[in-house]
Amino acid sequence: MLNMININKRFRTELVQTQALADFSLEVKEGEFVTVTGPSGCGKTTFLNIAGLLETFDSGQYLLDGQDVSHMNDYQRAKLRNQKIGFIFQSFNLMPDLNLFDNVDVPLRYRGMGAAERRERIERALESVGLLARKKHLPSQLSGGQQQRVAIARALVGEPRFLLADEPTGNLDSNTAAGVMELLQEINQQGTTIIMVTHDVGLASRSARNVHILDGRIQSDVINSDVINSESTAA
Amino acid sequence: MTSSLELGPITRALMRNKLGVVLIALQIAFTMTVIVNAIDIIHDRTLKITSPTGMEEDDIFSIRSFGFDSSINAQVLIDEDLDMIRQLPGVVDASRVNAVPASGSGSSSGYAIEPGRRELTVPAAQYSVDEHALNTMGLTLVAGRDFTPEDVRRRTATETRSADQIIVSLALAEEMFPGEGLQAVGRTIYSAEDKPLRIIGIVERLQSPWPNATDWIVERSLMIPDVVIDNSSIYLVRTVPGQRDALMADVEERLAGAGYDRILMNNKSVAQMRTELYRMDTAMARVLYTVIGTLIFITALGIIGLAVFSINKRRKQIGTRRALGATRGGILRYLLVENLLISAAGVLFGAVLTIGFNIFLVRTFDIPRLDWYYAPLGMLVLLLLGQMAALGPAVNASRVAPAQAISPSH
Ligand SMILES: Nc1ncnc2c1ncn2[C@@H]1O[C@H](COP(=O)(O)OP(=O)(O)O)[C@@H](O)[C@H]1O
Ligand SMILES: [Mg+2]
Repeated sequence: MLNMININKRFRTELVQTQALADFSLEVKEGEFVTVTGPSGCGKTTFLNIAGLLETFDSGQYLLDGQDVSHMNDYQRAKLRNQKIGFIFQSFNLMPDLNLFDNVDVPLRYRGMGAAERRERIERALESVGLLARKKHLPSQLSGGQQQRVAIARALVGEPRFLLADEPTGNLDSNTAAGVMELLQEINQQGTTIIMVTHDVGLASRSARNVHILDGRIQSDVINSDVINSESTAA
Repeated sequence: MTSSLELGPITRALMRNKLGVVLIALQIAFTMTVIVNAIDIIHDRTLKITSPTGMEEDDIFSIRSFGFDSSINAQVLIDEDLDMIRQLPGVVDASRVNAVPASGSGSSSGYAIEPGRRELTVPAAQYSVDEHALNTMGLTLVAGRDFTPEDVRRRTATETRSADQIIVSLALAEEMFPGEGLQAVGRTIYSAEDKPLRIIGIVERLQSPWPNATDWIVERSLMIPDVVIDNSSIYLVRTVPGQRDALMADVEERLAGAGYDRILMNNKSVAQMRTELYRMDTAMARVLYTVIGTLIFITALGIIGLAVFSINKRRKQIGTRRALGATRGGILRYLLVENLLISAAGVLFGAVLTIGFNIFLVRTFDIPRLDWYYAPLGMLVLLLLGQMAALGPAVNASRVAPAQAISPSH
């Protein structure tokens, strides 16, 4: 599904040069739910940006779904993001001036899908996060947890194979966060591969696989088979 | 490249930012109103400034001689002067006139088609001329005939006028005898003293001395072969092409050297007269051009400012759109369509304002009504101006990195 081999990424400013990722290699299989942890500044967001084709890298190789994306241009990467990747952000990133329906519509518009099919998909996606009844509402009329659900609906509406989340529960209280996590696990069980950056160590330890990054390198990569079992029984 | 124009979402998003949209749309509307009406006024002035007098303007100049030697017979002096001028190589013809078209000074009177009906008079400029005037001015005779030497009546200022034949401009003929046009030759009109004046010829065009006036005699003129002999003469001289300036100096020098006590003044070409006559109109056009330029500049700055502001405010949104699959072209198109919608609201309102303001101008200042294509053309120009102003900021916005979606700032 995702295969990174010896990825290097440096950031240069006038004052300093930061090696955000150093010989970073990781393979994620179809259907996995991987949490990514590590101290602030270790490179988690950089990894997610590269994985999500939001950022280029200096050297190494990245195969997404078997396809080498290392030398793709900006246009090709935009198209590939739109088709294969869903994003969930810490601060939701909903368009404040668009109602929920139009917000979820955004990625479908870039796909050039017909109005009827878009409508059907948007309503299904909003339904699946329990917010269809509020499709005419603005994001500002919703709670944080509800907004994140809308963002999840938006990430899922295009049926991506691959969901990337950067601290999706970072701005939510623990009850709401648990709800969002449940939703993500449900989505994962329906086959979507999820990579999620989190600060929540408890949450990470309960996940099926946890990758811990330190100074741009993977420090540990733990697969917890119990979780997989308990989750499948829970489902 | 199949992504849609997003008209619906863009419109709905704009509706939630009414203040900014309304301010820019209003600015566009006002700019359009002022520009379109200013161009209408400029167009009107330009037509006036460039309207021909009917003369061979490029080759004509005048000079005024004011003699104060009472021992000299004025008629002798005039004949000597004109003979001398006509014999100069390069001179086509010369004539003594009481006024020159477009010179700003002359005389006018009211004429009627029936005697004793003063309430029906038509004002017209009156040129008192000799038989050389038509040829000197280079007017185009379209009906009837020119004056002969026998037609010309010479008199002193105290004697009453006896000339009773006139040549009129076609505009005057049509004003007095609507629908007759060239057939008006042979008709009689009546002067302020109810003296009959028979039309013996019609010239295609002969402007009054005041063609810059808005609601006054512009094209209505007549010539009468009534020469008042006194010591003040305006000589009108036509030269062969290219010789005017040299002959202006030459004629002045020779008149001065002829040995009489006199003052020579107003040695001017028709071109100079025009420049002086239309100075206000030219200045007005220049002011309006400046107003137009300034307004376009300010409006463009306003649109650029709003675009830059609204883009900076939305860097994260734009990054998010990029993350969700928008290409650079998609972002560019989104922002240009957004600008187009705002501009469209502006020019629609602008069209209403433009026409309303024009109606006001027409009623208040006698400005001509807009031609039908002015408002649509103004709309198109302002839409394009909007797109051009928004292009720079929109291109910049399309370069916002997709990673801005996650960036902790903003
Ligand atoms: N755009 C950037 N320019 C310069 N340095 C950056 C940029 N993005 C990240 N960095 C640096 O790269 C390192 C990794 O950053 P990041 O991936 O955001 O860490 P994390 O998400 O784990 O907190 C940090 O030292 C950060 O300061
Ligand atoms: Mg981070």
